[in-house]
Amino acid sequence: MEQEDFVVQMKGISKVYPNGIAANQHVDFFVRKGEIHALMGENGAGKSTLMKILFGLEEPTDGEIIVNGELVHLTSPSVAISKGIGMVHQHFMLVPSLTVAENIVLGMAPKKSGIIVDYKKAVEITEENAKRFNLLVDPNAKVMDIPVGMKQKVEILKALVRGARILILDEPTAVLTTQETGELFKELVSLKEQGFTIVFISHKLNEIKQITDRLTIMRNGKSMGVYETAGISEAEISRLMVGRDVVLSVQKEKSQPEGSVLKVRDLEYTNKWNKKVLDGVSFSVRRGEILGIAGVEGNGQRELVEMLFSLNVPDAGTATVNGENILQTEQRAIREKGVSLVPEDRMVYGIAGPATIEENVISDRYTKKQFNKGALFNVKGIRSESDHLIADYRILCKSRKQQVKMLSGGNIQKVVVARELSSKPKLIIADQPTRGIDVGATEFIRAKIVELSRAGAAVLLVSADLNEVIELSDSLIVMYGGKIVAYFDDTSQLDDMVMGEYMLGLKHQTDEEIRRVCYE
Amino acid sequence: MSNRRLLVFNILRGVAAIMLALAVAAVFIFLTSKEPLTAMKYLLLGPLVSFKATGLVFNSTGLFTILAAMIPTIFTGLAVCVMFSANQFNLAGEGVVMLGGFVGALCGIYLKINSPLHPVVCVLVAAAVGGVIMLIPALLKVKLGASEMVTSLMLNYIIMFVVLHFLNYNFADRTKGSTQTYPILDTARIPEIIANGTKLTWGFVIAIIFVVLVALFMYRTKWGYAIRMIGINQSFAKYSGMQVGAMIVLSQVIGGVLSGMGGSIEVLGRFNSFLWKELPGYGWAGITIAILAKNNPIFVPFAAFFIAYLNKGCQQMATYSDVPSEMIDIIQAAIFLFFAAEQFLAKYRQKIVVKNTQMDLANQAKAAANAEGGSH
Repeated sequence: MEQEDFVVQMKGISKVYPNGIAANQHVDFFVRKGEIHALMGENGAGKSTLMKILFGLEEPTDGEIIVNGELVHLTSPSVAISKGIGMVHQHFMLVPSLTVAENIVLGMAPKKSGIIVDYKKAVEITEENAKRFNLLVDPNAKVMDIPVGMKQKVEILKALVRGARILILDEPTAVLTTQETGELFKELVSLKEQGFTIVFISHKLNEIKQITDRLTIMRNGKSMGVYETAGISEAEISRLMVGRDVVLSVQKEKSQPEGSVLKVRDLEYTNKWNKKVLDGVSFSVRRGEILGIAGVEGNGQRELVEMLFSLNVPDAGTATVNGENILQTEQRAIREKGVSLVPEDRMVYGIAGPATIEENVISDRYTKKQFNKGALFNVKGIRSESDHLIADYRILCKSRKQQVKMLSGGNIQKVVVARELSSKPKLIIADQPTRGIDVGATEFIRAKIVELSRAGAAVLLVSADLNEVIELSDSLIVMYGGKIVAYFDDTSQLDDMVMGEYMLGLKHQTDEEIRRVCYE
Repeated sequence: MSNRRLLVFNILRGVAAIMLALAVAAVFIFLTSKEPLTAMKYLLLGPLVSFKATGLVFNSTGLFTILAAMIPTIFTGLAVCVMFSANQFNLAGEGVVMLGGFVGALCGIYLKINSPLHPVVCVLVAAAVGGVIMLIPALLKVKLGASEMVTSLMLNYIIMFVVLHFLNYNFADRTKGSTQTYPILDTARIPEIIANGTKLTWGFVIAIIFVVLVALFMYRTKWGYAIRMIGINQSFAKYSGMQVGAMIVLSQVIGGVLSGMGGSIEVLGRFNSFLWKELPGYGWAGITIAILAKNNPIFVPFAAFFIAYLNKGCQQMATYSDVPSEMIDIIQAAIFLFFAAEQFLAKYRQKIVVKNTQMDLANQAKAAANAEGGSH
């Protein structure tokens, strides 16, 4: 291996976050000039952290970075940009109310006599570069009006106009349709032919096989090695990523659903960008069953969950739990009806980080009689409750007095799950319950959910992880564009290819088929 | 283990902030004073030590006056702790102290209760009025979303001018040279613990009792728990089913009650009549104290002692050297700056975190190796 081959050499990179999580441990990451290099790994494997370090968003705790043969200290994105590194984030960093051209020249706008922005020039710059890099965009369109695929092109252009020769793309296909993905791949190959180097973060095996030259696999903050894409099988990649040959399968008996607990009918919601996010959503979740919601993120799942926990207000429709309305009520009242929620964003809703584990697990029950003695807390009662939950849910911690934010991601989620599943819920809404956490915690949480559903709880499971929804659910609906496009009352025969077509909106069932999910 | 190391770090960080602030003060003293060493001597030692020809002598009167000065600021410090814990930056403690003092004095003048309960009644009325007044910023926040910081700040001046209006036009004793009320009845006065003229009254004991009560409230009751959780993460509190609006109001009403008590106890213990013609400054001191105490009521007396000591030191310095007493403002500002700066010594903190994590990882690896060895 010759040294000059590499445009980027990251050697022995370690990163410990202020909350004590070791996101990268002695990671080596070498990228050749002019290649498309995939960085692969599960959620939480440390890919994003490594790339944030390369883009100057995070400083490494240890290790060195060499770009184009020069030892660099990437203290900020502007330093990284000056070294020719550009990054396209998963969530676009664009100003929706500005036009494409304005976004492209943002922060480096051409000026007339040094003061007024020369908009004509900005359009020229945009058109010229769009042609040069073969990334066709409409310079005069407002960013909020253009489709996702074009937003991504704008992001790529933005990086190229700023002089990037090395492009980092963070899960670029997560938000794209199949056609858009195909288009993106053509553009990336053309950029590669022009001599650009591309780092491509993904965990979709087929895509990786399709366009990358080499790949680095990460697991649990460590590098599992670098491979020529042509020389490694998909099975081998997945074994290295997950650390085992088999996909996690969940042991569960067949469900015996009976009687609806949650009934959602004709839910409608239009968001502030005037986009219809929920469009006539109706379904039921029955006692003793796990109903999964599959779908590419951003197709209304998040909003649906928000409505069901009164964190948002729908425009129309009803939702009841055992016959009682749950829309636009206080969360306390919702919880009293036996609803619990494992929220998607555990750091925002799920926990109070600086508070102790004990304080976090009692947040929904601290007013109960058993935890109070007159005006004061019953310290013993609270202590035994939290010790029990820590033991039952195998939360790895030093004591119940440890701050929750000092725990690892998996254990933080166990704190949330311990609270939400131990309140004898009649309906459990689990939104991305295992996202970004380790395999052990994932298995544990899934088993707990199955256990409760078999004991009679109704479970609504929302997950972007296709394996998870298929494996864990008894029946399943697919959401696309704010609508339910498919309902499967038996998940045992489902395969991901068919699911994929529904998730991408290429196929949908008839209204009659979908309406079967509305049980009385 | 790691938690203890971080606690030690936090204490050291506090001490370092104070030392740095004093160093900043020293720089200014050396720059402006012709006798900097004398000035520093009185600033640092003056409050508790008399400089005699024979050497340094401990000055017990100094200690008593410092403790006496802590009485109102312990109350305002506690008030701010409760409000800041709920993430409510209510600054009206200052005005409510003045109002509490005024109301307490009026009760002491016009209510004729010939029993030891007289001061108790006066203080309770002042506390109630303080609590009611705080409903204004609290309800504006909860019902209309108005920033409590802005409304409470403005409320201070409204309270001040209303009090001055009533003092001037309705309750002034015209026989006196300066504007003040008629004398407070003897039955309403709060007596000194030891009658030595240092104004260290029983109010100090009450203040310490309230430190314990407020600490219990914050850490051992469901209301205090909810207030703290709301302060840490309001979304979490709402999602958990806490009554966020009610608790936000409650925290500020408690802040008002404590401030009102502090003001009335100060006036009934220290003065013969009500004679404040401007905001007394105890509310602002309470903010400094709460920040030094990291919103923990137990630390409030210590922070109040520190601030009282500094104040006295600055007075001594102004009396015996050419440095003006306003130096206290520079020192306080510097302490504020270093305390509030999250990033102060953050690199050192990160080092501790890294060390802890590496130890944890090593332990985990060891445990895993042991487990494997055991299973074979």
